Amino acid sequence: MGKSFLPDWFTIFLYLILVLFGWVNIYSASLNDAATGFFDMNQIYGKQALWIGLSLVLIVIMLSLEAKFYYRFSSIIYLVSLLSLLGLFIFGKTISGATSWYSFGSFSLQPSEFAKAATALALAKYLSDIQINIKSFKNQLSAFLIIILPALIIIPQPDPGSALVYLAFFFPLYREGLSGLYLILGFSLLFIFVFTLAVGSLWVSVGVLAIALLILFFNRKKKRKHISRYVFLGGLAILFSLSVNYIFENVFEQRHRDRFNLVLGKEVDSKGIGYNTDQSEIAIGSGGLWGKGWTKGTQTKGGFVPEQHTDYIFSTVGEEWGFVGSATLTLLFVILIIRLIVLAERQKNQFSRIYGYSVAGILFIHFAINVAMVIGIFPTVGIPLPFFSYGGSSLWGFTVLLFIFIRLDAARQEI
Amino acid sequence: MTNEKQITNRIIVVASFMLIFAIGVGYKLFEIQVVEGEKYRDLSEKRIFKNFEIPANRGNLYDSNGHLLATSVPEYDIRFDAVTVSEENFNKNLRPLAKALGKLFNRPASHYINKLKEARNTKNRYYLVARGVSYTQYVQLREFPMFNLGAFKGGFIAEQRTVRELPLGKIGERTVGRGQAGLEGAYNEYLQGKNGRRLKQKIAKGQWKPIGDANELEPQDGLDVYSTIDINMQDVAHHALLRQLEKYEAHHGTVVVMETKTGEIKAMANLARTSLGTYYEKRNYAVWEAQEPGSTYKLMTLVAALEDKVVDTSDVFDTDGGKVLYYDRAVRDSRFGGYGKISVARAFEVSSNTVFSKFITQGYQHNPEKLVNRLSYMGLNDRIGLDIKGEGKPHIPHPDDTNWYGTTLPWMSFGYGVTITPLQTLSFYNAIANDGLMVKPRLIKQVKDKDRLVAHYQQPEVRNTICSKETAAKVKKLMENTVKKGTATNIYSKEFSMAGKTGTCLTNYGSKQKDKEYIASFVGYFPAEQPKYSCIVVITKPNRKLGYYGSTVAAPVFKEIAHAIHTDTPITKEFESLEVENKKVKQAFENYYATAQKFKTKVPKVIGMPAMDAVALLENLGLRVVLKGTGEVKKQSLEAYTDVKPNQTIYLLTS
Repeated sequence: MGKSFLPDWFTIFLYLILVLFGWVNIYSASLNDAATGFFDMNQIYGKQALWIGLSLVLIVIMLSLEAKFYYRFSSIIYLVSLLSLLGLFIFGKTISGATSWYSFGSFSLQPSEFAKAATALALAKYLSDIQINIKSFKNQLSAFLIIILPALIIIPQPDPGSALVYLAFFFPLYREGLSGLYLILGFSLLFIFVFTLAVGSLWVSVGVLAIALLILFFNRKKKRKHISRYVFLGGLAILFSLSVNYIFENVFEQRHRDRFNLVLGKEVDSKGIGYNTDQSEIAIGSGGLWGKGWTKGTQTKGGFVPEQHTDYIFSTVGEEWGFVGSATLTLLFVILIIRLIVLAERQKNQFSRIYGYSVAGILFIHFAINVAMVIGIFPTVGIPLPFFSYGGSSLWGFTVLLFIFIRLDAARQEI
Repeated sequence: MTNEKQITNRIIVVASFMLIFAIGVGYKLFEIQVVEGEKYRDLSEKRIFKNFEIPANRGNLYDSNGHLLATSVPEYDIRFDAVTVSEENFNKNLRPLAKALGKLFNRPASHYINKLKEARNTKNRYYLVARGVSYTQYVQLREFPMFNLGAFKGGFIAEQRTVRELPLGKIGERTVGRGQAGLEGAYNEYLQGKNGRRLKQKIAKGQWKPIGDANELEPQDGLDVYSTIDINMQDVAHHALLRQLEKYEAHHGTVVVMETKTGEIKAMANLARTSLGTYYEKRNYAVWEAQEPGSTYKLMTLVAALEDKVVDTSDVFDTDGGKVLYYDRAVRDSRFGGYGKISVARAFEVSSNTVFSKFITQGYQHNPEKLVNRLSYMGLNDRIGLDIKGEGKPHIPHPDDTNWYGTTLPWMSFGYGVTITPLQTLSFYNAIANDGLMVKPRLIKQVKDKDRLVAHYQQPEVRNTICSKETAAKVKKLMENTVKKGTATNIYSKEFSMAGKTGTCLTNYGSKQKDKEYIASFVGYFPAEQPKYSCIVVITKPNRKLGYYGSTVAAPVFKEIAHAIHTDTPITKEFESLEVENKKVKQAFENYYATAQKFKTKVPKVIGMPAMDAVALLENLGLRVVLKGTGEVKKQSLEAYTDVKPNQTIYLLTS
């Protein structure tokens, strides 16, 4: 290491702020009459304090390993991670409906929280190989496979939220030169998906035809010969819309349908299916500009918002710290992610850069989906707010993810 | 260069995508927190503040002498949150708690150790320790190890609810009722009171803090209702009926005792057989069960015929060898061969079906509607309109009915083809006892708010005059004779007079079932000269092999009740025996007093004493008394004249 070891203190500082602010909110969300002190191990906030303490140990370990270690062992780490996910089918423990946990006595570990870092390492290793060209379709396929494999194992646990996070790897791929067409394709599919649910297949088909005609009209002179291609793409779009409709009605379960319908405003129900989101919106909204003050949140105290210390921790911030607090938290995440992109861009080797982008992407997707869910603009999927939500696995997963990059960045002069 | 530019573009695309999203989030937050903040604050307040109902205390139900029939008592379910307790507290207190629980509920401590451990292992936060414990037990449980640490540290959860308790238990259970049924249902308006309201704020999961000092709306306690039921008579009726039902293995039975002048119902017992052969208050047969009455209906048809002057009691008819044919169907007398030529009066006393069918047919065959109208006029086609819900509807066939046959009229004369409930029959007999004045059976006496009288039902509610005094006098004589020398001579008593009519009704004559089933009944009043109470006994489906006649099955119950009530009722002028009873009681009290004075520190001799006195005496000395049986004490476990030690237990055995 020597003198060249210079971790990015700014990122570490942001990390510490987030973790501590997170604990402060968990304390408020889980406070009850039986509390004896800040470190009461029977209490949720007491346990979180322990997880935070242990993650400091993890940080020391992550930082003291050679940067080369992560590069060399990335494939093995990835394999071990896949095995740990597969092992859940045999040894897994079911907590609130998902078989995503290994249980050791009173303590449980969720391997999917660590699989993200492993996948990022494996992807970085694969793409940074000189022989690999992201423009080659064959290589693209391999890269997709690396990404999608853990997601495929996670989906049936069932934990669709954690699987959704793997979309984050689109960021490094795009940065490394993946065709922008994928971006267009991805967004097109997303639009068709949303509009199909919102207005139905018929109108989507009409829309697709209208767009195709417009394109045809403007390109009349030049590209008449490509008509067949437009017809093909248009047909594909309509087919996709129809299949979305079919899957939504026949493959999804009612609870999934309900979640989409709620976000699309097709259903309003504050007692049953929409309870979580409704309560969390009320908690956040009632916080107003300045908030009700720490541990003064009436909704938080009343236990109205389910899972408030985990996935819905943002609602505590909203209620007790107000718009000022929640906007500041958003800003902190934006700064962290921008800082990570800046760090990634200053890497001299491709491996570190790709990994850095992966970290930025994962944190962004987590933040985006979680907050969007909590404020009611995205369907309910259970994923935690990074560094903030209660839970050892999630905290450690993100700590490992981030600090591998900090270690790589610190060694950027070495490799 | 283009490559680098492309990359820069891409970075810009990625960064702007993220930024646009972040701005979107910021915008949405601004919208719900600042722009619509007010709306959400209102919503939030709606959820934290909630009006809670404060249930009003339900009024008590008393008998006519102020003994409790039904009252509300708190009851608790004890649960245990096995997760909230710390490891240390759990381990330390598990055994002592299990031991205490075991002692309280008569179970081995190991049972509770296992259960509590299991609850902890399965993270059960709502383990049911005991259901429906009393307030005293709840107070004890609260002080048990672990539980005394409270809800959060000790995991003690007690859920209170109010239950209705009937101090008399099974006796009169159906009459007292529950919910919508019985007296509880009938006088619910008085008993229920008005619920109050109180505003509370939710301060934590499942915890609500009251706001302000006063309730939004004070609850109003329910009023106390004093019913006409007399628990002593109810007790007598219950046990007399029970004994007879057991003796004859009957399917079910009912007894109603009514005060003649006022129509106050003094006792109403209803018992039905279980598959085990025991009896319980299943439903209110007296009020609900409209059935064919059989011979007890002869009084109604006779009164009708006398009023319409189609016959007189002195008219003589031939019983035709005990068998008269109407369209191929035979009316038979219960005595084979009939009674020869007898008067209508005698026919009533011996319950001759043939004579009744003859004079009714003769009198009404050209105008059967007249009889129907007469019976209806006497109120036999209408419900009484009781406060108690579920009264059965009586029925009288009408000549316009499609199923009115040539046999309908003659069979009606002795109570077939018509239906009526026991209480309706009783109310008719009571009217005869009242010289023709029909009063409405009544169950309520007064309504009180604590000690303030709210409503008093004193005046009997007169329904109508069903017949002339002369007719009433005539049939009264016949009913007296029924007991003296008619079908019910088996209950005749020299000591006091009763009047009534037996009924033995075949219930399943239409069905193909081989074994015949009967309803045995007796209805009448006592004393015969100055009717004070009327009473009906209906015993349905007795075991045919043991007996089924109204005289043998039902009438003895009537007698037993009449006898018991009679001796309790101080008409001292006529009954010497009452004085004797009083002397005996006085003597017993004097004994008691003398003994109590003598023995202040020594165990007295209580053998031969009434058990009640003995218990009072011994308990006053600080002894714990365990009594087996009732009546006079035959054996005592502690030797007489030995010193009394504190907390000693004495066992008493009675005959």
